[in-house]
Amino acid sequence: MPTWKEKLAGSMDPPLAEEIDVFETQMVLRRQGKLDEKIFAETRLRRGCYGQRYDNGHRHDGIRTQELSLSDVTKGPETLWDAPGMQRIKIPFGGVTPDQLDTLADLAEEYADSVLHVTTRQDFQLHYVHIEDTPSLMRRLAAVGVTTREACGNSVRNVTACPLAGVCRGEVFDVTPYAKACSKFLLGHPDTQGFGRKFKIAFSGCKHEACGLTSMHDMGCIAVKRLENGKERRGFELYVGGGLGAVPHQAKLFDEFLPEEELLPIAQAISRVFARLGEKKNRAAARIKFLVTKIGIEEFRRIVREERKIMPEDGRWTGYLANVDHYQETPKRQPARLNGHERPDAFEAWHRTNVYQQRQSGYAVVTVTLPLGDMSARQCRQLADVARRFSGDNIRTTVEQNIVLRWISEADMPDLYRELKCIGLDQSGAGTIVDVTACPGTDTCKLGIASSRGLAAEIRNRLSEKFFLLDDAVKKLHIKISGCFNSCGQHHIADLGFYGTSRTIDNRKVPHFQVVLGGKRQENAAAYGLAIGTVPSKRIPEVVALLTERYVQDRAGEESFQDFVKRIGKPELRRMLEPFMDVPSFESDPSYYSDWGDPRVFTIGDLGAGECAGAVVSTVQFDLAAAERLVFESQLKLDEGDYTRSDALAYKAMLQAAIALVRTEFHDVPDHPDSIVNEFRTRFYDTNVLGDRYAGNKFAQYLFRRHDSPPQVHTHDYAHRIVEEAQLFIEAVYACHDSLTERGTVGISGRLPVQVGKAGP
Amino acid sequence: MDLYRLGIKFFAAGGERIQPAELIPIFHEWIQKQAFENHLLIDVHNYSHIREGPGILLVAHQGNFSIDMTDDRMGLLYYRKQPVETLTEIIKPAIEGCRLLENDPRVRDCLRFHTDEVLIVSNDRLLAPNNDETFSTLEPQLSSALNQVLGKTFKLSRISDDPKERLTIRAQA
Repeated sequence: MPTWKEKLAGSMDPPLAEEIDVFETQMVLRRQGKLDEKIFAETRLRRGCYGQRYDNGHRHDGIRTQELSLSDVTKGPETLWDAPGMQRIKIPFGGVTPDQLDTLADLAEEYADSVLHVTTRQDFQLHYVHIEDTPSLMRRLAAVGVTTREACGNSVRNVTACPLAGVCRGEVFDVTPYAKACSKFLLGHPDTQGFGRKFKIAFSGCKHEACGLTSMHDMGCIAVKRLENGKERRGFELYVGGGLGAVPHQAKLFDEFLPEEELLPIAQAISRVFARLGEKKNRAAARIKFLVTKIGIEEFRRIVREERKIMPEDGRWTGYLANVDHYQETPKRQPARLNGHERPDAFEAWHRTNVYQQRQSGYAVVTVTLPLGDMSARQCRQLADVARRFSGDNIRTTVEQNIVLRWISEADMPDLYRELKCIGLDQSGAGTIVDVTACPGTDTCKLGIASSRGLAAEIRNRLSEKFFLLDDAVKKLHIKISGCFNSCGQHHIADLGFYGTSRTIDNRKVPHFQVVLGGKRQENAAAYGLAIGTVPSKRIPEVVALLTERYVQDRAGEESFQDFVKRIGKPELRRMLEPFMDVPSFESDPSYYSDWGDPRVFTIGDLGAGECAGAVVSTVQFDLAAAERLVFESQLKLDEGDYTRSDALAYKAMLQAAIALVRTEFHDVPDHPDSIVNEFRTRFYDTNVLGDRYAGNKFAQYLFRRHDSPPQVHTHDYAHRIVEEAQLFIEAVYACHDSLTERGTVGISGRLPVQVGKAGP
Repeated sequence: MDLYRLGIKFFAAGGERIQPAELIPIFHEWIQKQAFENHLLIDVHNYSHIREGPGILLVAHQGNFSIDMTDDRMGLLYYRKQPVETLTEIIKPAIEGCRLLENDPRVRDCLRFHTDEVLIVSNDRLLAPNNDETFSTLEPQLSSALNQVLGKTFKLSRISDDPKERLTIRAQA
């Protein structure tokens, strides 16, 4: 039977192809019980394979909790192998091409539910994916230059950027090449593998707009320029330690002007400091925002700068800068003004909300509104064809869960609109109150408490019906909804934000939403909203109506909603909500006891353990798991009679295990066999550190012998022996690491602890 | 058989009188009863906001059912996700889904499925690319399976030769 691996051989970037092969082998090992489920869980998360609701094998069907009779093999703690999952696909800065959209559409059809979902961080997500399909899915993405690597897990997530970058009328400069370089540089970087939690980076081309949302990111970069000695220099106003979640933090200013050449090294230094000093045991306090708060931005800055000084030089830090000035996108069509062209019905309303004039004369950006961030695979493929005709490769996803087509010749707008209408993607209202953002919530997320998508759909429908009657000030408001306090729907930065919660009334659960008002998206998410009170889910649409009406009535001049909320104050807002807070008895109105779009009696019994990040797995554990995988592969080659490859893999496995231990003391050990063996010998063999348990030093000889005397002739017996020796050597390294961990010589991050508050080396 | 990722759609008459959301409680009830033999029904998903999309989706481990609206023609679409021995195993659950809906008092007065026109979608671009060769290979197997399950003789034709599209076959009695 043909496979995608065979078909696409040669079409994939070799490192990407190898990574996927490795993941496939890890899947085999996990199924055989040879790879710990926690390690596999974090491994798969780092490949973007995320758990989905009910994958613990339980689902409340409205009457009782059903046990899902699936195989008991697991892909993580309490996560069944055969349960459908979510596949997140990274789209750095949201940039995607028509060919990539075609592939995404194919994958949605063949492996998911024929729907593509755009996330609030410019990723794509596919739902109801079986893990067995993921290697093929990843290969097909790799063949068009897309990776899922580090889309989830304790890693650097998708690097986001303003979707107008490069065409914005108000930007300082185009941040696209920097976002691209940053994403590429940090992807799989050894210094980003030891985090206790995820790490999110965003770029913005200006300070005043909302698009980049840099203040709510772990690392936010705002484009700035400075005159130095009469010469204009590019750089970034750099922020660290922002984040939403249950405890939102505004990012702190790290540097007013970080020169462009320092962007990547400082990102690397921050990563190293986060990996070393960030919390590892308590997930709830493991984001970098907690570290920055704990030690203070001044101390954090000092440590990062000390770290920067000792980092080995890397040509990639500045290598990309030579091309930054030449970075440009190629429009598909010639620029032309929209003058005298016949305009279809409803075109004007769509044009008012969905078209942004670029700074390049004759061109505009079109927002394709995706209700709830969704489009069908068929629409996706059709949209790719529309893009081929009008915008070429210049497509981006947005954090508002839409897609923008850039470099559209203004004269093409009527034709483009007609085509979008044909494929059902002509909804107007982009960036207005009807363009509601929502995380997946209880639809598919294990942590969802209430139905964010159900509520979003209801609000959208109600507001759309009377959109043209709404006051302009109301039209401009933004609604964002999260299914729980974790804020994936970014409710903190909305004018009207909601997050799901639950209340118990007469021993029955009732879905509720906390109302959060007055957040500020502008100025890169400058302020977070105020939590006012909790209202039953079914009354939220009325709350929206009441608040917006009051805003129109009592608005002082051109007062913003944020200022209005501040002016009338929390007690008054609370008083307004109180009439909506009561819940009638189940007998008098059972509708309160189920959620939007879900007729089941509401329960929170389906909540599972979050996989937003997996368990913290140290770098050493990952390295040793990789060594075991290599031994497994060497055994397979031995069985196939390929003794040369078997020997090479077994040797590589020993080196992998050795470097795992060396890195606990010497993080930047060069990844070269001589260096690894020399450092290992000096640090663990000569000191007898390895030898203190199970005669470890004897096993070290296996590595040294193979390193010093590679075989001249490859025979079965030799290969067999080297495979056995590699396995024993890895066991010795495991034992040594356990011993060091017990003694407290090695921290959970796999590195020796560094003191905070003192000057670094 | 190697090729099992197939979709089969039975078109419905009267669908315009039904709001997609009306099917949500029906699908949930099917889960409560685990209404299909050899299927583990898991979840319901509302995609009715997507034009001509999957509508309301019923997810099962073995295959997904949806009230599909492609080309503005409502129908019950079943996509197989797990291997089968014979093609009839893909047709039968779809037929069973149609039968259950037709017998449901909430929609039976306005929903009837045709069995003289069937759409079959090969959902595997690797094993079954959209070309004459695949069609020639599949045609006799599909004809035989449809005849076996529905007791009618069908004439099969390809809908499009666009290589980007999946092989889609219209079967007409």
